Amino acid sequence: MKILIKNAQICSEKEVSSPCDVFVDNGIIEEVGQKLSAPSDARVIDGKGKLLMPAMFDTHVHFREPGQTHKEDIQSGSEAAINGGITGIVMMPNTCPAIDSPTIVRDLLDKAKQVSRINVYTSGCVSKGRKGKELAAIHGMKEEGVLMLTDDGDTLDDPSLYKKAMEYATEFGMFFASHCETPCLSGPRAMNEGKKSYELGIEGSPAISEEICMDRDIRLAHATGAHLHIQHVSSGIGVKTIKFWKEMGARVTAEVCPHHLIFNEGDIGDYDTNFKMNPPLRTAEDNAMLLQGLKDDIFDIISTDHAPHTDFEKKSVDFISAPNGITGLETALVSLYHAFVKKGDLDWPLVVRKFSAEPRRMMQLPPVPIEKGGAAEFLLFDPESQTTFTKEFFQSKSINSPYIDQTLDGEIQLVLLGDEVLLERGV
Amino acid sequence: MNSAPKDFLDIASFSKEDLTSFLDNTMQMKEIFTRSVKKVPTLRGRTVLMLFYENSTRTSTSFEIAAKRLSADVTNFDVPRSSVQKGESVKDTIDTLEAMRCDYVVVRHPMPGFAKNLAGLTNMSVINAGDGQHAHPTQALLDAHTIREVHPELEKKKVLIIGDVLHSRVARSTSRILDKLGAEVAFLGPGSLVPKHSKFSRFTNYEEAIAWKPDVVYLLRVQMERQTAPFFPSTAEYHNLYGITRERLAYLSDHGIYLMHPGPFNRGVEICDEAVDYERSLINKQVENGVAARMSVLYALKPQTSSFIIE
Repeated sequence: MKILIKNAQICSEKEVSSPCDVFVDNGIIEEVGQKLSAPSDARVIDGKGKLLMPAMFDTHVHFREPGQTHKEDIQSGSEAAINGGITGIVMMPNTCPAIDSPTIVRDLLDKAKQVSRINVYTSGCVSKGRKGKELAAIHGMKEEGVLMLTDDGDTLDDPSLYKKAMEYATEFGMFFASHCETPCLSGPRAMNEGKKSYELGIEGSPAISEEICMDRDIRLAHATGAHLHIQHVSSGIGVKTIKFWKEMGARVTAEVCPHHLIFNEGDIGDYDTNFKMNPPLRTAEDNAMLLQGLKDDIFDIISTDHAPHTDFEKKSVDFISAPNGITGLETALVSLYHAFVKKGDLDWPLVVRKFSAEPRRMMQLPPVPIEKGGAAEFLLFDPESQTTFTKEFFQSKSINSPYIDQTLDGEIQLVLLGDEVLLERGV
Repeated sequence: MNSAPKDFLDIASFSKEDLTSFLDNTMQMKEIFTRSVKKVPTLRGRTVLMLFYENSTRTSTSFEIAAKRLSADVTNFDVPRSSVQKGESVKDTIDTLEAMRCDYVVVRHPMPGFAKNLAGLTNMSVINAGDGQHAHPTQALLDAHTIREVHPELEKKKVLIIGDVLHSRVARSTSRILDKLGAEVAFLGPGSLVPKHSKFSRFTNYEEAIAWKPDVVYLLRVQMERQTAPFFPSTAEYHNLYGITRERLAYLSDHGIYLMHPGPFNRGVEICDEAVDYERSLINKQVENGVAARMSVLYALKPQTSSFIIE
């Protein structure tokens, strides 16, 4: 298949180019330049006024397989990723049963090869069954391709077990990802402790619950020489904690999710469970500190923490009982454009770096810049168009999104991976 | 009120004018109590369902009397206490209740936001009789009315709320209605039980609080069941620091300060024996006004059930 995209601006980690043409043949970017002429059998796409950028990569998604495939599965989750311009993902292992053995890893990745049109990777548990009692089959999972170890969804409560895991797995070049929370400080884990939790009569989970655990886990990593990745940071003081440890020379990386940058506890309104996730939305001050942390490279990557739950689970019970999590794959890029890039608070090169290149590097994969000779793995974004997140728009099995029925500026119009057009709309 | 509301879920949903209208109606309802036949036909043929997932004698009885004085039929939906659990589907419950063709449901539930959830799923009028630590709006209404009986102009009146403010739905709702009506509210209580995030000022000791010259001292019940979690060392220490002792009672008496409590009270903890019979205690008035306030709410709401639509 031959495709010629004309007059699009190309985004890299460094810059946004002036309009130029990109010619792709058989999944390879054959030429990048001005006024390229298309062979007669090439498809020509007008990219005028639009941006061509490397496809995104999400290191934090919940595809609920095995065990909770009524919420999502590898196939539907992959289609959701495509809908959001994402061509590679790392699944979290908090499934039923948990992804804690080489057999489960192999089964899932085999299945992904059959049902998914994107690159699917999985993380594995640190502890067997995520129970925090004994180590999971760490090296066995490594043999099947696992790099990232995490008990995401919960904290590994026992620091001595975590320390042993770090000492053991670092030898194999694996790294760790921490969901930071101090359970005894978190109450029912429903929302931030603050003005809003008092108003709603809910025992809140204070930011210190996250910060104390974050500090503990980074200290463990620093002491053992392990690489630790801090997941979904929601607290402004957390950003300072990570900065401190980076300066101390700890091997720590961190991610921030679009919802923690954009929303705060006030958005929960009258018990809206589409704003309920863990760690919770905190304050406007935290939003500002997180955004600054992203600009200052305290955050290495952006991830979504895509956490699908059915409407019934989210809506038919009270707020505290409703499960934590919102979907994010399909809204992340557009929401970042709408909230920040459009207003000049963030620029495209930063988005490409944090949401496409760095996540791939963390997973020891090469980034996918739009350069001559490179593999085609990119998306076309129209800043002048809009996206309406209707129920029908979502490819995920679940629609627990704060953007349900909202219209945002920006639209992903084309997603290409190798020789396959994964998504096409409005071009 | 511009249009009759369907539900009565929390104080925050109503304007000062709405609340004043509820209070004016409360006054009129109270007039009915002085008649020999304490009953009006307003809600004849309507059914009020009592759905209590938490134990309550005072509030449920108060609602039942209120409904009956308006000639409604009252049914208790007996919730097996053992089945009250986290994550229970509101939808399943409401489907059952809809089928019984009731018009009003009075609900108490341990989870905050439960009444609101219920209201979104039914045409019945939902009245929140307490949802976890969130709200107890009819208590707020009766409290505001009780204060209005002794201080008709609430503007700038000072109300000192003492006790476990953090876990109290009464404190949340009552402070909010008083604030909306122009009164001043301040809190006093152990640092572990008074929120840092409320808009109201907080005193750290009794002497400082009483020097603020409150017109009303409103005591909250010390929830003995919470004493498994150590929010303060002992009830004796609590009584010494925040309780109305005999000496403090004498001061209240000398300065014409009224005393309120949502009940039931713990003698010797938040209140001494003598305070129960204090001449400016409004505690029994609160109970009496509770019936009138709940009548006022039932009277003002408009269910969207078929019987009302046919009308």
